Amino acid sequence: MAFEIDQSSFRQFGSLEIIAKQVVEGFITGLHKSPFHGFSVEFAEHRQYNTGESVKNIDWKLFGRTDRLYTKRFEEETNLRCQIILDNSSSMYYPVLEKPSLEHPNKITFSIYVAAALINLLRKQRDAAGISIFSDTIELHTQAKSSSVHNKYLYTELERLLHPISPDVRKKTAAVDALHQVAERIHKRSLVIVLSDMFENIANNEDLFSALQHLRHNRHEVVLFHVVDKGKELDFDFDNRPYRFIDLESGEELKAFPAKVREQYLATIEKYRSELKLRCGQYHIDFVEADINAGFQQVLLPYLVKRERMM
Amino acid sequence: MFETLTDATFEEKVLKSDKLAVVDFSAEWCGPCRVVGPIIHDLASEYEGRIVVGEIDVDENPDVTAKYRVRNIPTVLFIKNGEVVDKQVGSVPKSVYKSLVEKHI
Repeated sequence: MAFEIDQSSFRQFGSLEIIAKQVVEGFITGLHKSPFHGFSVEFAEHRQYNTGESVKNIDWKLFGRTDRLYTKRFEEETNLRCQIILDNSSSMYYPVLEKPSLEHPNKITFSIYVAAALINLLRKQRDAAGISIFSDTIELHTQAKSSSVHNKYLYTELERLLHPISPDVRKKTAAVDALHQVAERIHKRSLVIVLSDMFENIANNEDLFSALQHLRHNRHEVVLFHVVDKGKELDFDFDNRPYRFIDLESGEELKAFPAKVREQYLATIEKYRSELKLRCGQYHIDFVEADINAGFQQVLLPYLVKRERMM
Repeated sequence: MFETLTDATFEEKVLKSDKLAVVDFSAEWCGPCRVVGPIIHDLASEYEGRIVVGEIDVDENPDVTAKYRVRNIPTVLFIKNGEVVDKQVGSVPKSVYKSLVEKHI
């Protein structure tokens, strides 16, 4: 299985929580304590045993003392629900690589590893995780659960995404619709993590911002990870020779000398970024730029800070 | 007022009451019931005179237990005018019981 998620590769982040905790302790001092406390009821009730049921939950000590057959039922111990929203549109497959890996990822591979690492961390903390994958439609939406069966299912779904799609498949980003739909489907207060390059049709800025605002409803906490290949997409670091730029979502082509278009490109992208940052600030959405070549820490630390603040 | 109910007193104290009755089905050997018990006691004093609060032992009172098909304990039934209007199974925070009382009172 060439594209299997190597769980050992992010196991190293297990201790990151402790490091992160130390780092953030000073940082978050003075923040208001959240009125939403995670509660955990371990052993919630006794239920009469029915013949044919699994015997593993029978309270044998009680049977020993009283000759009664009762099973123990436990409340799921969940402190936090986290919904990870993953953009799977064609633009996320930039840079187009034959074999994207952990060391040299494209945006989708990076996002998948980030999602997997977050699920791993959530699992460790007995938090519930769910994922929503979207491109031009919602491809998958799962409720947040904390069972190991559910987590395995999430890993399987993420692994499926690691298989590269043909560059001829053009899947557009419809972040606006997707975010609205996901916001409608998450009912309980959750931490919502969005992993996307946000390359929506730039004329639709207002719609995009209203979709982000919609996510803030129901008192969700939202973190937006703006997944970018910083060198190429933000700094426009190309040699000065003719290039053929292809829009991965529409297939549109443009031949240009980087030096000629650089200035205009940088100005446009900078305007978009600052607008995005500003609006996120206004809606109390954490905006984090995640460069695919800069490792996981930049993503996991802000998540841990956010979680700490929510609990 | 807090009542310890039995098969014999159930009808008189609960079904014939014109107030909302909160009945906790429990057993002496059940751990989670010990968590719910004090909460139910608190409700009795907080809503003194406005609701009837009682506890019934499922082992000693099999008739009422069977009648209401209580198979899980703790189970708290909310009974008004002789009809079950709500049911809460398992131990949950006090706020849940309070909101159910407020809903039906």
